[in-house]
Amino acid sequence: MTLLREHLGFDSVPASVNLCALCGSVVIFSGMMPARTVARALLIGLTFAAPGTPAYAQLPAVAVERRLAEDLALRVGDTVRLGTAPDSMRALATVGAVYEPRPDPAQITKSERHMRMHLPDLAAILGAPDRVDRFGVGLVPGTPADSAVAALERTAFGYQAHASSAIASESSQTFIVVSRFHRAIAVITIVASAVFLLCIMLLKVEERRMDAAVMRFVGVRRRTIFGALLLEAALIAVAGSMLGTGLAFAAGAATNAYYRRFFDTALVFSLITPGIVFFSVALSLGLGLAAGAAAAWRLVHTRPMVLWGRR
Amino acid sequence: MKGIAWGLKSLRRHRLRTALSLAGIAVAAAMLLDMVMLSGGIDKSFTDLLLGRGYQIRLTPKGTLPFDTEATMAGASGIVAALRRDPAIEAVGAVLGTSLYGRTADSLVTLFGYGIEPDAQSLYQLASGRDLTPGDSSGVVLSEPAARFLGAAVGDTVTLVGRLDPQTVTAGVGRRLVVRGVVRWLYDYRGQPSVGTVLPLMQRLARQPSADRASVILVKVREDAAVPGLAARLRARFPQIEVNSVAELVAHFRERLVYFRQLAYILGSMSLIVAVLLIGTLLTITVNERLGEIATLRAIGVSRATIVRQTLAEGTALTVVGSALGIMLGLFTARYLDAILTSFPGLPAAFSFFVPRADTLGFAALVLLVTGSLAGLYPAWLASRAPIAATLRAEAT
Amino acid sequence: MIPPPLLARELRKDYPMNGETVHALRGVSLRVDAGDYVAIVGPSGSGKSTLLQLLGGIDAPSGGAVEILGTRLGSLSDRELTRLRLTRLGFIFQRFHLLPVLTARENVELPMAEAGVAGRERRARARELLAYVGLDHRADHRATQLSGGEMQRVAIARALANRPALLLADEPTGELDAATGHEILALFRQLNADGTTLVVVTHDERLAAEAGRIIHMLDGTIRD
Ligand SMILES: Nc1ncnc2c1ncn2[C@@H]1O[C@H](COP(=O)(O)OP(=O)(O)OP(=O)(O)O)[C@@H](O)[C@H]1O
Ligand SMILES: [Mg+2]
Repeated sequence: MTLLREHLGFDSVPASVNLCALCGSVVIFSGMMPARTVARALLIGLTFAAPGTPAYAQLPAVAVERRLAEDLALRVGDTVRLGTAPDSMRALATVGAVYEPRPDPAQITKSERHMRMHLPDLAAILGAPDRVDRFGVGLVPGTPADSAVAALERTAFGYQAHASSAIASESSQTFIVVSRFHRAIAVITIVASAVFLLCIMLLKVEERRMDAAVMRFVGVRRRTIFGALLLEAALIAVAGSMLGTGLAFAAGAATNAYYRRFFDTALVFSLITPGIVFFSVALSLGLGLAAGAAAAWRLVHTRPMVLWGRR
Repeated sequence: MKGIAWGLKSLRRHRLRTALSLAGIAVAAAMLLDMVMLSGGIDKSFTDLLLGRGYQIRLTPKGTLPFDTEATMAGASGIVAALRRDPAIEAVGAVLGTSLYGRTADSLVTLFGYGIEPDAQSLYQLASGRDLTPGDSSGVVLSEPAARFLGAAVGDTVTLVGRLDPQTVTAGVGRRLVVRGVVRWLYDYRGQPSVGTVLPLMQRLARQPSADRASVILVKVREDAAVPGLAARLRARFPQIEVNSVAELVAHFRERLVYFRQLAYILGSMSLIVAVLLIGTLLTITVNERLGEIATLRAIGVSRATIVRQTLAEGTALTVVGSALGIMLGLFTARYLDAILTSFPGLPAAFSFFVPRADTLGFAALVLLVTGSLAGLYPAWLASRAPIAATLRAEAT
Repeated sequence: MIPPPLLARELRKDYPMNGETVHALRGVSLRVDAGDYVAIVGPSGSGKSTLLQLLGGIDAPSGGAVEILGTRLGSLSDRELTRLRLTRLGFIFQRFHLLPVLTARENVELPMAEAGVAGRERRARARELLAYVGLDHRADHRATQLSGGEMQRVAIARALANRPALLLADEPTGELDAATGHEILALFRQLNADGTTLVVVTHDERLAAEAGRIIHMLDGTIRD
């Protein structure tokens, strides 16, 4: 079984993190494409050594992503063979740690698996000593990142410097698009539900047509009938909103449970904030009451004979 | 419909209510339509894109998808030669993708370079000028954005500078090339400044560790039916290389965009439910209001079947008119939603998420029509089962 | 021998009411021959409407049997019974029960459409019938735009649409003022003279007086 490590993302380059103590806000990338990397490593899980066998005590240690460890049934202390191609699996290493990667929405749909190792070990496997894809540069507190980037761009020929914030905004572009899409879908959904709500409210009030006619016949005041109809509409709107909120939480929980299992991640997919609840309830109550009031007003201002006749 | 369509005429009795229901059904139908377009559109659009010039198999470095990374395969010419000897294969083209620079008066601009084999390329279409010819080591083709960046037109000379070598901190070799044509790269994102040269030239500019490297090899198979078999054969023959047929790439891609398909299914079903609920509620309430009328009709000898038919006809009419409005609304919103999603960074400009296809649209319309009409079943049943004498008596109160 | 349009034997109808049973009809027998004009009168609650509903096959008796032109209603399926109501019987209700969304002409055409009469013939006969009840000038008015008397005349035209063997009317003048009621009365007389068999439930003394035969009901039975 072979697995590939590709896409060494900015957040998952602990090899360079270890060496460069990446903590600042400027990162320099060699090459043109910051999100891409030339480094590839192939990894084969092996079970030719019992965990903790002294003979392998001096082997380099690697940290293996939890899902990869599960896929290959690796445990801390196991020995693995590493290489850049299936026919060059020459390097040996021990699994020093199994780690849970930080949940990253950009990674969940990719089936790739990661492992981390010390930079010299990776360089040795790749046969590219003293080469890195990028440096992380920490700035003295107070130094503006942009001016540091500009300075580096001027002096370090052959490199490109990027501020972390710029990279972050670039890589979050996908999610900006997705959230714009979600917002558009939400608008359509809100329009649909609003129409649905208006329709149901209208029907609900009109169902009372005969009752209203009878009440008018026996001399009940319009105000009283209107009040009664509105009260009924309000009760329905409140009950519906409560039910809807409950339903939303249930659906959100189901969505989260499903996608967390589906992508094997701890990410939150559906988040129902108090703001959302407030907006939805306010909208449905407002629309429901408005629709109920409009329909009730129409009803009490229709002549009772017409109400009676138009059955 | 034979006879007198009193059912349909009843829809005109409560105009506001009918209009609101139609609006609701239209929005739900639009949503359903969009979601159907989304669920099938991704596959369709991607397949069309990949099969644009008929190359059904891609060979890439192990574990990568085409142009996914900067990884390359060594010994490309050997692989290509071997493939060309295979009788099942019609054409083979190797491509190297790399980043490089173009020199303008005052600076270097970053470009994306494709090294292609002109007699077997499937990456671009000529827009103006003429194509590269095999062995043309002094010509280049540009994408529209690249031409703009470099301020060059067909016949002009441009200077391309290879990758910078970080170790020696020197710029790579510069090459002066004549712009042969302006082309449209099929897999470029909007505004991508791409340039193309013959493969050996790009290999030199890319400064790969060894010269004979390619990012992807495209294979055109004579018989479509032979593709899966050939892909399996190639996989066995080149274990160090990733072999993917278009169908498999589509499957990969689909996996990455699984979220959108699932969203499409969920929202699509919800729209359907909303439409059915609307029609069902409306008809149930109107039928309840009209029980007296219906009892009268039954008394004077109108059959249950006619009552059911007329009630279902009401549901169908609502569905048909609502869907017609919904299709217009849906096509409009799909364009809007597509514009949002196609602004994904790095997505080929030729790609779209919402693709109107006759078969899926027909399917959506059919599903809507059937379910919309079925929504009338309960009210129709209610109408046909009303006890005549008791209802008439109740009506007289 | 041609069977009579209507024959009822020992009709009983019980309604369950809060655990008790209301005996609305307690054994009513009745024969109506072709060309008869029968009026059923009696105090409120004596079972007149119930009887008419049983005779018209829109409700089933608890006991006894109804025969229309020799066919026992109890032996028919719902579909056959519906067909019989459509083609052999005509109903006229106290409160007209026209379809408000349809015009006068469409209301008259409706039973013919249901019986499968072709469109052109249907329209011709509807026009003819509306002329007969004196409403040809109102043919294209919607039912809701007509007066009570006009509505009842449309209802009569509708009842006649499929040339029924028997016309059943439940208080046809009950909702109308005296003058309008008089017009309907005249229409019934005319109908009977033209050969229609009529059974009319009424409180209207004048209407009863017109009839050839008066049946008095009391407490669910016929009182002779
Ligand atoms: N569905 C029912 N449930 C219970 N009792 C009923 C029902 N229908 C009729 N009845 C009873 O049967 C009896 C006969 O009713 P019916 O309507 O036939 O009287 P009627 O002679 O037509 O009276 P009216 O002249 O007032 O119209 C009444 O006592 C009535 O209360
Ligand atoms: Mg009565």
